[in-house]
Amino acid sequence: MADTELKQKVEELIASNPVLLFMKGTPEMPRCGFSMRVVQVLDTLDVEYGAVDVLPALQPLREVTAEISDWQTFPQLYVNGELLGGADIVEEMLDSGELAEALGVEQPEAAPAPAGAPAQSPPLQIE
Amino acid sequence: MIEAALPGAAVEVSDETGTGDHLSAMVSAPQFAGLSRLDQHRLVKAAVKERFDDGTIHALSLKTEAAG
Repeated sequence: MADTELKQKVEELIASNPVLLFMKGTPEMPRCGFSMRVVQVLDTLDVEYGAVDVLPALQPLREVTAEISDWQTFPQLYVNGELLGGADIVEEMLDSGELAEALGVEQPEAAPAPAGAPAQSPPLQIE
Repeated sequence: MIEAALPGAAVEVSDETGTGDHLSAMVSAPQFAGLSRLDQHRLVKAAVKERFDDGTIHALSLKTEAAG
């Protein structure tokens, strides 16, 4: 059972920040490679976002997000109150253009390949 | 472990760091059909939860797709 006071705080943060990242460390100094990857994705799209460092209260926050979103690992990116995912999903959504769409920004011409991930060509589509 | 939880799944796991605890998995499963990526990842994570809990795995990078 998650701490109800903390849960309420988290819900308020998610509601009041259109783009909110729960991460390990800070955007300036990420403390985890996965968190760093999401920061890089958001920087690529040049969007403003709120960031919460989960490290000071890692376990309580895991319990809270497990209840809110059925997701316990960090990073977690929320857009307009909805969990989009962690680093893997956010990167896939960047490559497919879904992330730019969800954020209401333009897809960059050529998204740089995320560090550490092998470049994969998107499935071909015929309009 | 993933195959046991998702019969018929094709799973390809690679060891990212050579230490055996930072893994990357590509999972293709018929059970993923119609599910969002979030739900696909939830299924895989639930399947390997035990290994996270006992500390065998620290990090798992996932790529999922519906098979079939």
